[in-house]
Amino acid sequence: MELDVRGEICPYPMMKAVEAMKKLQANENVVVITDHAPCLDTIPPQAGRYGYSSNVKKTGSPEWTITLTPIGDE
Amino acid sequence: MIGLTQNTAPAPGALFRHIPRQSLAAVLILFATAGLALVMSRTEAILAPLWILGIAAGFTLQRSRFCFASAFRDLFLFGSGRIMKGVIVGLSICTIGFAINMYNQVPFPEFGVLPAEANILPVGVSTIVAGLLFGVGMVLAGGCVSGSLYRMAEGYIGSWVTMAGIIIGLGLLSQTWNWWWDTLIFRESPIWLPAKLGYGGSVVLTLSGLLAIFMLILWWESRSGLSMPNIPSREVSQDTFGQKLSVLWRSVFVLGWPAIAGGTVLGGIGVLMYMVHMPWGVTGELTRWANTTMTTLGFSPPEALGLRAIGGCAGRADESGIFTHTFAVTVGVLPGALVGALFAREFKLRFPQSARRYVQSLGGGIIMGYGAGLGIGCTIGAFFSSIPSLSISGWLFALSLAGGAFLGVKIIKRIA
Repeated sequence: MELDVRGEICPYPMMKAVEAMKKLQANENVVVITDHAPCLDTIPPQAGRYGYSSNVKKTGSPEWTITLTPIGDE
Repeated sequence: MIGLTQNTAPAPGALFRHIPRQSLAAVLILFATAGLALVMSRTEAILAPLWILGIAAGFTLQRSRFCFASAFRDLFLFGSGRIMKGVIVGLSICTIGFAINMYNQVPFPEFGVLPAEANILPVGVSTIVAGLLFGVGMVLAGGCVSGSLYRMAEGYIGSWVTMAGIIIGLGLLSQTWNWWWDTLIFRESPIWLPAKLGYGGSVVLTLSGLLAIFMLILWWESRSGLSMPNIPSREVSQDTFGQKLSVLWRSVFVLGWPAIAGGTVLGGIGVLMYMVHMPWGVTGELTRWANTTMTTLGFSPPEALGLRAIGGCAGRADESGIFTHTFAVTVGVLPGALVGALFAREFKLRFPQSARRYVQSLGGGIIMGYGAGLGIGCTIGAFFSSIPSLSISGWLFALSLAGGAFLGVKIIKRIA
């Protein structure tokens, strides 16, 4: 599932990512696209709590893609 | 300022891998700010160091993504004290530096004479109301006053809307200040710890309080079950001089700083500002803008009773001329943060996706601005510069901010 939260500032990218992770119940990847640097520090710790691992990749200036993968699937 | 903004706008969508256009713009802005420092020092020599410290503060806020709003909000929203721990480290550094400075000004505090420039503010119901309003407003808007200021420079359009709200809120407060003064503030005295405990006792008490809160946050984090994952850092070989330089450059100018590093540097900057003239604050300058605008439009606010004697941020709001001390430490944040964002290639015009966010930014800004006016300072002036002034007002404002942030979190959870 792709979650484009460009333009959103804290805490909404994190809250939307949590909502998605709750809904998918660790059955599917969540790909978060953001241009807000602070959520690189807020989303990964939340992902751990819902059974996901995170992988942050810089994809633009400034743009990042955070891929959340269910921990069992790795 | 107009000259500066012209330099800053990079071509939209420009993404040249080989020509770091944003870095070039950053260097140009640094030259422009240096030029402005020279112009200012002709008005008054002390303006140049204050301007440089303001720029350094903006750079630090941007690099460490320091956000007082999230420091309070994230404690309640998801049990994270990451930024609050940085705030506490900064407060501790300021506490020691401010105490030395105040001792030099007032060696015998027991006679009740307050150091002239320290942010020792009234303590009472007005402090609580101000903190609650400010706390709710900053969570709704998604940033406090200093946070909105440096995000304006990073290209966040929502923060421009918040700033407009803050100025409207400060204007509304200027129009109604005398009611608050007559009803509450005239009998709310400041409480300055050194007058009762001496400097040694006050510093020990303040640092113990900060340490206790640091421990409380560690416990709160462990209870919330939040664990910071170990994000694997790519090991870069540091053999040659060039590689060492490149790693150093990246860790200062490209990668975000840890919150604790941000707090440490901001604490140092706060001490230096006080050594040059006064503790850091941004509300005074914004109040000046609000009052000047209203006067121009024919709604000039009444003479604020008692405000000048209180001091703090708003007590300096009646300086005249463009280049004032409050201008230097407030407006300096903008080019500082812009330079930080450009070197890191994080500058971008970002428009909120939904209309609701614009309403939140404006409404939150107005509430927060009103609170900042009533509290005679924002998260900087009434908190970050007030607790180290060994003033009880800083603690009461912080507690009320936490209460306001708690209410704000309840609200945004419903409307998110």
